[in-house]
This record gives sequence, structure tokens and C-alpha cells, in this order.
Amino acid sequence: MASERKSSSSVRTPPPSVSERASVVLIGVGNALRHDDAAGLEVVRRLRAQANAARIAARAQIALLEHEGEPLALLDMWEGARAAVLVDAVSSGAEPGTIHRVDASRGPIPARLRSSTSTHAVGLGEAIELARELRRLPARVLLYGVEGARFDAGSGLSRPVQALIAPLADAVLGEARELAAAPVPPRYARGVGE
Amino acid sequence: MSEGRPTRVIRTDYLARVEGEGAMYVRLDGRTVADVKLRIYEPPRFFEAMLRGRAFTEAPDITARICGICPVAYQMSAVRAMEDACGVAIDAGPLRDLRRLLYCGEWIESHSLHVYMLHAPDFLGYTGAVEMARDHAEIVEQGLQMKKAGNAVMTVVGGREVHPINVRVGGFYRAPSPAQLRSLVDPLEHARETALATVRWAATLPFPDVTCTPELVALSEPGAYPIDRGRIVSDRGLDIAPAQFDEHVVEEHVEHSNALHARIRERGTYLTGPLARYAQSSQTLRALARDAALHAGLGPVCSNPFQSIVVRAVELVQACDEALALIEDYQEPDAPAVEVTPRAAVGHGATEAPRGMLYHRYEIDEDGTILDARIVPPTSQNQLAIEEDLRAVVERSLDLPDEQLSLRCEQAIRNHDPCISCATHFLELTVDRGADGV
Repeated sequence: MASERKSSSSVRTPPPSVSERASVVLIGVGNALRHDDAAGLEVVRRLRAQANAARIAARAQIALLEHEGEPLALLDMWEGARAAVLVDAVSSGAEPGTIHRVDASRGPIPARLRSSTSTHAVGLGEAIELARELRRLPARVLLYGVEGARFDAGSGLSRPVQALIAPLADAVLGEARELAAAPVPPRYARGVGE
Repeated sequence: MSEGRPTRVIRTDYLARVEGEGAMYVRLDGRTVADVKLRIYEPPRFFEAMLRGRAFTEAPDITARICGICPVAYQMSAVRAMEDACGVAIDAGPLRDLRRLLYCGEWIESHSLHVYMLHAPDFLGYTGAVEMARDHAEIVEQGLQMKKAGNAVMTVVGGREVHPINVRVGGFYRAPSPAQLRSLVDPLEHARETALATVRWAATLPFPDVTCTPELVALSEPGAYPIDRGRIVSDRGLDIAPAQFDEHVVEEHVEHSNALHARIRERGTYLTGPLARYAQSSQTLRALARDAALHAGLGPVCSNPFQSIVVRAVELVQACDEALALIEDYQEPDAPAVEVTPRAAVGHGATEAPRGMLYHRYEIDEDGTILDARIVPPTSQNQLAIEEDLRAVVERSLDLPDEQLSLRCEQAIRNHDPCISCATHFLELTVDRGADGV
């Protein structure tokens, strides 16, 4: 029966415009059915699943979000937030499991990290640069790129990527907390709603 | 380049601004186009295999993940196919209206992304949206605003803006209230105004003089612009039910691609998408969209694929205007879904994804377990037509320097908004000019 597998409780209400309330958005970006492309999603899922981490995030007004699909939607997801921490898979030729940390607030994303491994229409790097041109980038944007081993269709992370999900989740949450506690940069002081 | 330089090969490693990543190869012998290949490495066979053994109710959610740009199309073709198998038809009433509304949201989102972010830079001489935004921030913002209106429809009706979770076989998990839908009126009215301006603007763009005449195939339904149902009709006499798709369309392996290339049996190449829909059904456009097309100078058929940007803009007007009409007439259904009881059968579903017709076929057993699945994405169907376009464009542009010719080729591919990710993940684009051709 069509109604048996999924109860109506599985219907989520439309996501609130999270950044209206959140000071910092922590967004896992990726594709759940492209093996290591799910790394960013897995990081955020881990944080959500851990009561302690979820509590810390809520207290610090850090929104834990997942984003699959078209990256330009990120411009709306981080609207109003003072900072964004993004976690995505990358394929730059480095050793799988390598973590690239880029402070996108300081300048353009390096070209080697811009070639998207995802099925996105406009890559994550392009979405960031477009937002920068349009002055719609939060004052601080940190990108964590997880070097993946495989991006073919299928689920499950490769071993080197799986091994870093837990430590990376702790690291990005720590980073988001620092950003949430930092003084609001002057040009973003208005309209943040705090 | 001259007759004395027999080989010129254009090779590009990546197709920028195409959904997914693509590979293209063009070889010229003298002034003859010797070879054109658009290569796709991975068909959606993983998903077809994954569906086998799953419950028939899971198909919409699983197939929605094939593409981040057109998840609703996958859901709608899946639910139609499953309902067809189970002997249920949702062809009227608020549930069908909600489906069309959701689909309008996807058209708005996808078309505004393509028109503004992916296609406009080609015409305005920029390498991409980022570079274009430096000089034309207002154009990019317009596109983003319109796209946001589409996102809002997806969120309210679909449950979230990407990979909607509210769609199920038989209808929806929860129907939105009229008040929820009314919240969409302002952004959609604004988007409709922008869409009308987009048609006027797109009509002024410089178009290369190219005519392509593949067989145009689209769904067709009396009195309505095709979105979520209809017969499969062409300008050369094809007129079949979706259930007959298999009899009339063959998929063939070609050497240079892992994907199957679709052909109409005993005839060959065909094209689906905005140009085909418009050619079949422009008379069923809503008055506002029809007038916009008229004022933009579009005739009853548009044979220049570069002008597809104008047709997409007209479809943006159509989608916004129809969405507003559906919201105005909406009455909350008594139940968000009708009951669908599985039976051993085969079902077919065809709907119009923004970039073309998307066909699903499923065989299920009496418990509703999926025994077999077949998915034919629009880009697989359009591959051969895109290659023929490339050939025509190259033949008319032989005297362009390599770099410009390469760009013109990429543009010719983008004319059809190929969602290569529907069929593959990685796609190398190679335009190979031999050493003599430089």
C-alpha cells in the first residue's frame, strides 16, 4: 500500500529560513549517491545525530544544514548569517582523505579546488565567487574540501574518507563556534538580527 | 586552415556550464566536418539496477536523486508510471493541479538558472556568470530572484527546494493549505513580470544564423501546454501513447559513449525539449505567454537552436502564469493522496522535464516489488540531435579561429541545456584540432 512505507511524520515542514535565526550556518554539501561526494553531508549528519554536538550548535546559534543539488541555492541559505562553514568533497589530485581548508573570505577559491566533482550546474566555487561579486557572501566563509577517492554512482564512503568524518565533524563545529562567538564585523553589524 | 591542411581537430576537456561535465570531439578534414562526437560515459543504469527489488512506492524518491536540477521530473514520471501499472489515473482535480504547480516551480528554477547563469554569458561575451556579474549584476540578480520564486514553490508544495520529499505514488504526503499557496503569489507575480522582461531582452540577443530541423518530439495534450502528461507526438506524424514508446524508440550503443543513443525506429534522430514543445503546442500557451512569443518575433516553429533562450523565456512566462492560475483556483483536496494498490503489471510514464521528455517504465509484481526499471532521460534522447547541431554549426563557422569555434561549439551544446548528469557524472569534453589545424 502506498501509505504504509512512509508515515506523514516523514514530511518535513519547509525549512525555515534558517539564517534568519542562525548566526552561523554550517552546511554539508554533496550528493548522497555518489560515494565520497557524500562526505560533507555525512559530517553534518554526524553532528546532528550526536545530542551533545546538536546542543552545542543550538546554543551557539549554529544551523546544521545539508545541501544536495544546485549550489546557487546556497546564496539563500546563508543570507543574513554572519559566517558560513561549508564542507564538500573535492577531487584535486591530492591523496584521498586530505582535507583542504580555504578561507574564502580572503580571496577567490584556488582553481584546483574549483573543478566540481558533483553534478551541480554551477560549481560550489562559482557560487561563492558569484556571491562575492554580488556582495552576498557572509563576512566569513570557510570551505573544508575533503579529497575523495571515488565519485561514481553508489552509496558508502571510501575508507580514507570515512575515517576522517568524525574528527572533521569535531573540527568544523569548533570552527563554527569560534565564528559564532567572534565580534560581528562592522559592515555586517546591521541586519543580522542579534 | 586551407585545403592543404587536411585535419583540424577541436578538443575541449570540459564543457563548462552544462549540467554535469561533458566531452566533445570535432574533427575537420579540410573544410569537411569528418567527425562530431558528444561523449557520455555513464548511463543511469546504477539507478535502474538499484530500483530492482525495491517497493514501487520508493521509485519517486530514489529517481529524484538522479539529478539535482530536475528531481520533480523524475518523481512525476515515476508516479505516473507506477499509477499506470496499478490502474490509477490522476488526470484532474486538486492533486493533479498540485503536481502541475510543483512542476511549474521546477521549470521556473531550471529555466532561470539556464537562461541567466548558463546561457546568457554566451551571448553577452563572458566566460561565465561570475564574470558577467561584474558588469551586469542586475541581470544576474534578476535571474536569482526568479529562481528563488521557483524554489519557493518547490519548498511549499514539494516539502523542500531540492529533492522534494512530499511526492508519493497516488499524490502527496501532505497537501498544502490555500494560505500556504497564497504566500507564493507575490514572488510569482514578481517573477512573471521579470519573465516578460526576459522574453523582450532575450529577443534582442545576437543569434548566429543556423537552422536545424530534427524531428521534434514532445508530449501533447488538447488545450494545455504539455508538462505532466500527454501523448507523444512529433512534427512528422508520430502520435503514440507513452506505453508505445518502446515500440517506436530504440536505444543503441555507440562506440564513443557508454550511454545509449535514442532513435525513432526506422527514422532516426529526434529532439525533445523547449523547441519541440513550442513547435507542437505554442497554440496552447496561455495568452500572456503567447503574446510575449509573438512580440519577440517567434513564429509557430523555432528552428534556430540558438533562439532556444527565447523559447525558454516564453516558457518561464507560461510557468509563472500557470502557477498563479493554479494557486487562485486551488481547493484543498479531501485527502492528500488516493490509495494505490499494487498489482502485477507494467507501467509507463512520460512527462516534460525542463530540458525534454523523460520516460520511465517499470514492471512490478503483485506485492509492488519492482522487477525491472527503464529510465530514458531527455539528454540521452537529444544526444544525436545535439551532434547534428554541432555539425551544422561547425560547417557554418569554419573560418572562425580555433578558440571562437570551440566556444561556438560549446554554445551549440548549451542551446539544449543538456543535463548530462542525468545520464552520467563525469563527462570529458574534447575538441581535438590536429597540429596542422592550429
